[in-house]
Amino acid sequence: MQKKGFRFYLRIYFKILAQDIKSKMSYRADFIISTIGMICTNIAGFISFWILFRNFPSVNGWGYYEMLFLYGFSLVSLTPVQCLFDNNWSLRMNVFSGDFIKYCFRPINIFFYYQSEVFDIKGLGQLAFGIGTLIYAWVKLGLVFTPLMLLKMIVFLITASLIMISLQNAAAATCFWIQNSFYILDLVCRFRDYAKYPITIFSPFFRFLFTFVMPIAFIAYYPSLVILRPDEVPVLSWISPVIGCIFFFASYKFWMHGATKYSGTGS
Amino acid sequence: MSPIIEIKNITKEFKVLNRREGLKGSLKDLFSRDYKTVRAVDNISMSIEQGEIVGYLGPNGAGKSTTIKMMTGVLEPTSGEILVSGCVPYQNRTKNAQEIGVVFGQRSQLWWSLPLIESFRILKDIYQIPDADYDSILTLYKSLVDIEPLLHKPVRQMSLGQRTLSDILAAFLHNPKIVFLDEPTIGLDVSMKSKIRTLIQALNREKHTTVILTTHDMGDVDALCERIVIIDKGRMLYDNDIEHLKRFFGSYRTLRLRIGGDLKAHAASLQTALPECTVSADEEWISVLIDESKANVPDVLAQIQAAHTIRDLQLQEIATEDVIRKIYEEGVQ
Repeated sequence: MQKKGFRFYLRIYFKILAQDIKSKMSYRADFIISTIGMICTNIAGFISFWILFRNFPSVNGWGYYEMLFLYGFSLVSLTPVQCLFDNNWSLRMNVFSGDFIKYCFRPINIFFYYQSEVFDIKGLGQLAFGIGTLIYAWVKLGLVFTPLMLLKMIVFLITASLIMISLQNAAAATCFWIQNSFYILDLVCRFRDYAKYPITIFSPFFRFLFTFVMPIAFIAYYPSLVILRPDEVPVLSWISPVIGCIFFFASYKFWMHGATKYSGTGS
Repeated sequence: MSPIIEIKNITKEFKVLNRREGLKGSLKDLFSRDYKTVRAVDNISMSIEQGEIVGYLGPNGAGKSTTIKMMTGVLEPTSGEILVSGCVPYQNRTKNAQEIGVVFGQRSQLWWSLPLIESFRILKDIYQIPDADYDSILTLYKSLVDIEPLLHKPVRQMSLGQRTLSDILAAFLHNPKIVFLDEPTIGLDVSMKSKIRTLIQALNREKHTTVILTTHDMGDVDALCERIVIIDKGRMLYDNDIEHLKRFFGSYRTLRLRIGGDLKAHAASLQTALPECTVSADEEWISVLIDESKANVPDVLAQIQAAHTIRDLQLQEIATEDVIRKIYEEGVQ
């Protein structure tokens, strides 16, 4: 038996993923309707954003295109959690019904196995929409395009994604201890809506909350500063990749701790 | 050869919240929690050899699933020791998982929307099954069951029987040393039950796989198991071969009769006529419990028929639950 390294998991992941997408496509009506739904959600989000800015030319010194950049940034950085970790939403039901036990019988990492099972293809629409918005804002802001900028962009997008994934993992994993974890998951999901605003518009209390307790400010604001305001980047922005990794690792450990404590229901 | 599963004095305790009654009680529960300890498994020891089929029996809530969860590494015993093919399952969950296969009767572990063959291919990768082994086990499967129509059917479209069959095939795919089957024939029709029993037996013989089987169906036990372990309320009641157990339940049968008139009175008179049997009556039926070491069924029937007109009759084998209750109440000689 060879060692189960990164390549082993990657191969299995793509295999399960390909199968999942294939089978999703086979429900054609479901696929089309949910894609349309996703497009509508994004357009509605964009329209409310646009109406807001028809009335306020800037928010706390942040102009329209800068805000648009933030908006696009948050859309793109929310894609991985939407596409790859969507099964977290079903965790509560699986744990409650006892079906979660089946994930404990395979000789692979439980967290990996569980998350690999669902790939939410709808997130790809959001990704396309987000990238479009980002490019549009980028051009309108007259930002230069260099490989270094692109690299920064990618690193900080990954950072932002990691933070969001960590939040969702931790929120979902609470169901191993409490029954109504849906509200916690829902709360986190609602709070992430605030991610697309510059944190400076909030009161110091919320600024603290969104930075250190529920770090949604790292989803778009702190990372975007590196691109948008290169002269006034706070230390928090630079260390955010490290924070992202730490948060992800901690949430993973928390999730796994819950999973190994899981005892199942009687059968 | 050392045993494949070695269990020494394992105990598993759960902390359960003592819930108070009513709304007021629930409010109190919020603030002061009163736990009690429940012993699901109490000091069980056994050792199982490679290649055995062991029937693991007991009434609902006896602690069967808890023991199996400990053997599969999902639960950690509160005290005691388990070794499954030489390692502690709870500490080496992934290593242990490579050596075992698990089927939980009504919970499919296959990918719901995938055709069986795609699930097999993913499992081949997960368990790192070499191509040659994979091909040979598929050939074996094809010789044992009519697998072709199943292979290309998504699991969600399968009947319960087909799904159970697929789950069992999937559990044996990586040639595990031990397969745990938790009520594999629950809810299946007679022909499917027999198909599944034949399959399990054939796989056990071909691959020399140890099979631990929990069931409430004595048919499964009769067809498959040489050895039986019975637990109740977490305690081990019986661990011996089936021949030994048969003396308990094989010798008892219940004859149920439908006759006209006042059943209570008939039952009383039958009881005096048949002192070696136990006669009881309900609204519709008269039940005669016959101990076959003392009387045989045709004789009893002839005796009753001489006195009454029988409209309908049934002959019942004693159920597992009854045997277990009997063993529990009377002990094992």
